[in-house]
Amino acid sequence: MSDSKIVKLTALDGSAIEFDSSEAIGSGAMKDVYFSPDKSYVVGFFRKEQDNNSRERLEKIVNTYSKQLFEKEGGENLRKLFCWPTHIVEWQHKGITKLGVVAPTYRSNFFFSSGRFKGKEKEGKWFASPKLRNKILDDDQKGTWLNYLQVCIKIARAVKRMHAAGLAHSDLSYKNVLVDPLKGDACIIDIDGLVVPGKYPPDVVGTPDFIAPEVLETVALPKTDSNKKVPSILTDRHALAVLIYMYLLYRHPLRGGMICDPDDSARDEELCMGREALFIEHPTDRKNRPVVKNLDKFELPQGDVDKLPYTLCGPYLKPLFEKAFIDGLHDPSKRPSADDWEKALIKTVDLIQPCQNPQCKEKWFVFDNTRKPVCPFCGTAYKGELPVLNFYYRPRPNDSFRFENARLMVFSKQSLYKWHIDKNIHPNEKLADADKKPVGDFHLHNGSWILINRGMSDLYDVSDANNRKKIAIGQSVSLTDGRKILFGTSVSSRLCVVQLVKN
Amino acid sequence: MTRRLPVYLLIDTSGSMKGEPIESVKVGLDAMISTLVNDPFALESVHLSIITFDKEVKLLFPLTGIDELTLPEITTPDYGPTHLGAALQLLEQRIDTEFIRNTTTQKGDWLPVLLVMTDGKPSDVLLYDEMCEKFSRKKFGRLIACAAGPQARVEPLKKLTPEVYRLENLDSDSFIKLFQWVSASIDECNKSQGTGIDESANLPPPPEEIMVF
Repeated sequence: MSDSKIVKLTALDGSAIEFDSSEAIGSGAMKDVYFSPDKSYVVGFFRKEQDNNSRERLEKIVNTYSKQLFEKEGGENLRKLFCWPTHIVEWQHKGITKLGVVAPTYRSNFFFSSGRFKGKEKEGKWFASPKLRNKILDDDQKGTWLNYLQVCIKIARAVKRMHAAGLAHSDLSYKNVLVDPLKGDACIIDIDGLVVPGKYPPDVVGTPDFIAPEVLETVALPKTDSNKKVPSILTDRHALAVLIYMYLLYRHPLRGGMICDPDDSARDEELCMGREALFIEHPTDRKNRPVVKNLDKFELPQGDVDKLPYTLCGPYLKPLFEKAFIDGLHDPSKRPSADDWEKALIKTVDLIQPCQNPQCKEKWFVFDNTRKPVCPFCGTAYKGELPVLNFYYRPRPNDSFRFENARLMVFSKQSLYKWHIDKNIHPNEKLADADKKPVGDFHLHNGSWILINRGMSDLYDVSDANNRKKIAIGQSVSLTDGRKILFGTSVSSRLCVVQLVKN
Repeated sequence: MTRRLPVYLLIDTSGSMKGEPIESVKVGLDAMISTLVNDPFALESVHLSIITFDKEVKLLFPLTGIDELTLPEITTPDYGPTHLGAALQLLEQRIDTEFIRNTTTQKGDWLPVLLVMTDGKPSDVLLYDEMCEKFSRKKFGRLIACAAGPQARVEPLKKLTPEVYRLENLDSDSFIKLFQWVSASIDECNKSQGTGIDESANLPPPPEEIMVF
């Protein structure tokens, strides 16, 4: 290692910035990156001179857009989901003025803490590729299926807020999103290429696997051609859907058995991901279904779409995958928004059950009571009795309660939260700390299911309309089939009807 | 099946490489492999094969997945010629036997990447010229030639590929940089693509010690 050589600069906003110029810690396609002496932040210098447009964009990212995103309700929670540039610097080096951006160092949980990859960044590819999961990665680094739902929620949430501010990332991929399956955490990096429609055009078309079909199809057209499609919010939506599919199913939604050009791999790739792109699980057009006998043994079982179909992700995600990869694959306006994904993912968390097989690698699965419930990952059938809470709400104060297509599949020692009992509270970045505390918990107690009230001041058993019974804090209500529970007296309070599923 | 990316390294082990130069090559190769085994993209797709050439041509190992690789001993004779032509001939046979071609029902390999490194010039000139002629009709993802050290001749390599680089020194620092650059170039297959105007701009520049011809 060379001796450290600290360079001191003053950022354009006047802040003092230091970095160790003796060794670049990373060199990407665009930038060389250096650590600050205390390693709390990094400085990345562009290799090529940046034009005025790029400089102006960086200034906007560091100032205007940063304020737009983070100086709003829930902004502080949101900040953790991004590695957002904080300052711009200029460095006179070898007679050239180099432009650089300062950004916080990634949090420690985004580096492998043990095993053969200790110290390496957890880029998403590690966790989305079946071969890497089955052959290379240590089991204790993989996390559970619930963790991947959490990872996807965070990614969808971050993208949602960028899009809400009118910004497109333009290069979402598993390289530019760090994930930590152990904590269910994610962080979007490489923000400096972001696209503002109509103002700052994209620098890149994206990363293979995530480039939207219409972009790949028109990649060869000159920039001036009006038919050329470039990254935008709509192409981000494609990349987001691919990321979610890959983290929940560990395979690519468009990489199947279809061959478009047997003579030329590169051309084949361009067609299979571009003009001819087809969902590998398309219900009627089966051209691109993966051929199991052609798969490497390390690509199984994840590569087998008959064994692990996308429908295992449950009733809220199923229609979104269909919109993204069937209706919207070649029709960008039909793609689900990041907000659609976040909501569906959150609702899906309420449907999952711990697998009863202690050896199961995924540990959790979406409980499907329309069929015989079985863990799709290990094949273990669910045995026993399980309460399902079906939620109802009142659209307006004097209306009667209506079913809202939301359920909670109860498991023992599960918590009930405010967002379950009040339709105005949502478990997103805006959630107040006070609302993060559980208000009740579920137990299988002496052979029957109960809910213990921990914090609901107006909890009622309303099974008998003429005789509502108050359940005080510290008391419990048993969850028998058909029981009706009212979670409060405000207009936004929910009601649930208990359904007991027996297997 | 995930497409493989075949990477072939043809390495000069003629007498002049004996001693520090070949030890430096080994250090460089170790560094390259340790970069690749930590790269999820490379682990998924890159398959490496090394052919050495001096008066004999040796297949050090056939195409092998990065995760299954151990670098065998590389030896050099005391003196002797540089049979690069014969090395290319062996490479041609290897590609014929192990390269998976696309069919109408199955995905084949990506086009192979080839790096040729020599510190001299080919001794089997006739065969070399014949092989250059054959290779000009073959498709490669990239074909890079590296003229290493003061004795290396650039002109013969230009017959093989327009992409010729000169490495000034035969020390381990230079070889580490050379092979790091090769692995970064391999990795570029997986990084963000430009908007189609200036594709070459996305490749990392060669290290300062390497001169481009």
